[in-house]
Amino acid sequence: MKHIFWQYHPVIHLIFYIGTVLSGMLFMHPAFLACSIIFSISCYMTVAKEKRRFLSGMLLVFLLLSVLNPVFNPSGSHVLFTYMAGRHYTLEALCYGMAMAAMFVTVLTWFASYQITMTSDKFLYCFSRLLPAVSMVLTMVLRFLPLYGRHLKKIADARKGIGKSAENGTLKERTEDGMLLVSALTSWALEGGMVTSSAMLSRGYGSGSRTSFCIYKWRGKEKCLLFAMLADIVLIVYCMIKGGAFVSYLPVLEIADLSDGYRMAGLIGYAAFLAIPTAAYVMEEIRWFILRYRM
Amino acid sequence: MVHFKIQDVTFAYPDTTDRPALEHINLEIRQGEYVTVCGASGSGKTTLLRLLKSVLTPHGTLSGEILFCGRPLQEADLREQSSKIGYVMQNPDSQIVTDKVWHELAFGLESLGYDQKTIRLRVAEMASYFGIEHWFYKNVSELSGGQKQLLNLASVMAMQPEVLILDEPTSQLDPIAAADFLNTVKKINRELRTTVIITEHRLEDIFYASDQVVVMEKGKIAAVDTPRAVGAFLKEGNHEMLAALPTPLLVYYGVEEQKNSAPLTVREGAEWLDTFFADRTLKVSAYEAEAPYEEDEIKDPAVEVKELYMRYEKNAPDILKGVSFRVEKGTLFAIVGGNGTGKSTLLKSICGICRPYSGKVKIFGKRMEKYCKGELFSGNLAMLPQDPLSLFVKKTVREDLEEMTTGKNKKDREDEITRIAKLCQITELLEKHPYDSSGGEQQRAALAKVLLTQPKILLLDEPTKGMDAIFKKQFADILKELNNQGITIILVSHDVEFCAKYADTVSMFFDGTILTTNTPRNFFSKNSFYTTAANRMSRHIFENAVTDGEVIELCQKNL
Repeated sequence: MKHIFWQYHPVIHLIFYIGTVLSGMLFMHPAFLACSIIFSISCYMTVAKEKRRFLSGMLLVFLLLSVLNPVFNPSGSHVLFTYMAGRHYTLEALCYGMAMAAMFVTVLTWFASYQITMTSDKFLYCFSRLLPAVSMVLTMVLRFLPLYGRHLKKIADARKGIGKSAENGTLKERTEDGMLLVSALTSWALEGGMVTSSAMLSRGYGSGSRTSFCIYKWRGKEKCLLFAMLADIVLIVYCMIKGGAFVSYLPVLEIADLSDGYRMAGLIGYAAFLAIPTAAYVMEEIRWFILRYRM
Repeated sequence: MVHFKIQDVTFAYPDTTDRPALEHINLEIRQGEYVTVCGASGSGKTTLLRLLKSVLTPHGTLSGEILFCGRPLQEADLREQSSKIGYVMQNPDSQIVTDKVWHELAFGLESLGYDQKTIRLRVAEMASYFGIEHWFYKNVSELSGGQKQLLNLASVMAMQPEVLILDEPTSQLDPIAAADFLNTVKKINRELRTTVIITEHRLEDIFYASDQVVVMEKGKIAAVDTPRAVGAFLKEGNHEMLAALPTPLLVYYGVEEQKNSAPLTVREGAEWLDTFFADRTLKVSAYEAEAPYEEDEIKDPAVEVKELYMRYEKNAPDILKGVSFRVEKGTLFAIVGGNGTGKSTLLKSICGICRPYSGKVKIFGKRMEKYCKGELFSGNLAMLPQDPLSLFVKKTVREDLEEMTTGKNKKDREDEITRIAKLCQITELLEKHPYDSSGGEQQRAALAKVLLTQPKILLLDEPTKGMDAIFKKQFADILKELNNQGITIILVSHDVEFCAKYADTVSMFFDGTILTTNTPRNFFSKNSFYTTAANRMSRHIFENAVTDGEVIELCQKNL
């Protein structure tokens, strides 16, 4: 399921997501929006298992937001039709709605693939250098919360087995039973905590300054990729500083074409940046196809 | 080199008026030795082990001296002790600190401040030595109990300790995982010359490998010697720890007078039987056979299960695949079988914690669903879960028991508790917090709580896990007493020896169904792997002998 790009160093993934989400929220130019919507969806497609439901949901959100925007915002110069005693439904408001919806959908899609690809350990790794103590606490939270959840189920099952479950009882009975479960879980957790702290002490926790081990390593290829990504970011930022992000929908459409050099450069950088996971996926497929063909 | 030298150590916990936890302990442990510490629960084994590592030493007053590599233990700082003395505890789950296997392996090295390169190498070494490469990237919550404990061992070994201390490491594991774990410990001791100090209930797997066996009794050392000498010592004094000895030794002591060439393993036991019968004619060669077990003859079963199918989710695989069986009233019905084959799920399905999607469960001839709310659990059915701790929800054992009482007035309730406490031998625990007692005591307190529902059918999930041999015997007596009162018991267990000795019927559970059901003698004498140690060592000479007592009896008949 996880193709080559997701086996790269987590820092690359983090930069990628920060870049895509931030610039996704800043660029309202239709060409940029088209780029981000195409690549966010293609990126999602290559990592997700259940695609149809999410994508049809996103399509619905897109249509609803675009169509409904003119209803709430009647300004604009090209009136498509009037309704409800002269209220305007304008082309500009519709375009603006579509742009907003596209932005909303891409950001959501980026987050959806983020959820799948950025596992807890990658995320923690990225922050363990900055905040070692916090990341240690987070690791332990990730370990112990599910453990407590499972034990709670165990206690509830055990009580069911002796006929003490309040599942079908009155609200009062269920509340009391819930309190009892929580108090039992607390004693169990404290008891376990003692063992955990002994286990930590016995393995030298607190004996000096801690280092933080990671299983990720920078490969040559990844360094090149990082460099390319930084170059793309420079292009994007340059384009933004020159005003390439400027676009106006209301009250009149003012969309610059791509003839300005900086805007074209920005768009190329933007597309190249967003296309990285998709391109990595496609290249891997091609490579395997050729390898298989040769065999 | 002497690793640990314990000189006249006495240790007392604060606020206790009775005897100190340890009294006048003298012990010398040399480098590379495998030392087994045994003794009944509460004899001070854990306290002794904890004194060998300063950060784990409990509060209390300590006199005498503990030398580590020739100098007082306190002089070695936290860093040195952390890396040189490894400690593995009982509970597999609570010892794991992080959420990923690889991170757990690195935890100790991170604490000691090693750099990336060193950690990477050590972690890789450990992963391949312990065979955990294929679950290296997993979440620890996905591991089995045995894997978790192996991970705990590996993450301690990653720090390259010179001494490895293990406090009942396998008490929460099933026998196969336990044997695996103990074999790994043996391998470490043999290949790396790591000193091993271990306490265990299951002496079968470690007794023969030990260089020194320490027998503890009421805070004192009763004996320190080689395994054979300790065996002879226990036999001579008819010590309570005798029951914990491996089967070949027990059989030997039941027959022979000579003490110095006793067999310690099944192989040695079988060889000894060969020489024993080399110059004797075999007069009686079989234990009397039992009539084959006929399930159809049970007219009025307490529990009847028909074609039970169960899975946890719609798309998940079946856990139960058409289980059918009947249990006669007032008998002890044991179900044995490997880990994760669905035995616990079967018990949960019988008492309604899990809902099977097809099949019938009849309790006293009536469909389970036909019992109205609460009727099933008031006086009919009760289940003792695998983890006794999950049953305790109050501050003292007495309060926990009170929750279950049904009597009308206070006097009735107290009588009820007193009666059950006496039956389960927990009278002196009543005012304690349930977590403050030992594993075997917790198991009996949990049983008491379950029994207060006055069930006619009792379901037990792995009740003998973590119990020492002495407790096991007492536990079996309690079950017998319950059977005599007419209570039907269904027990799921890994403990082959226990089932052979005490069950009326044994069923083999495999791949979601019951393969065969028979009386213990017929069942175990037909198996060649899944059977008791007594049967394995004697099957080439005797037929139908399943327990150590039976083998001894046959030997004596041939004298």
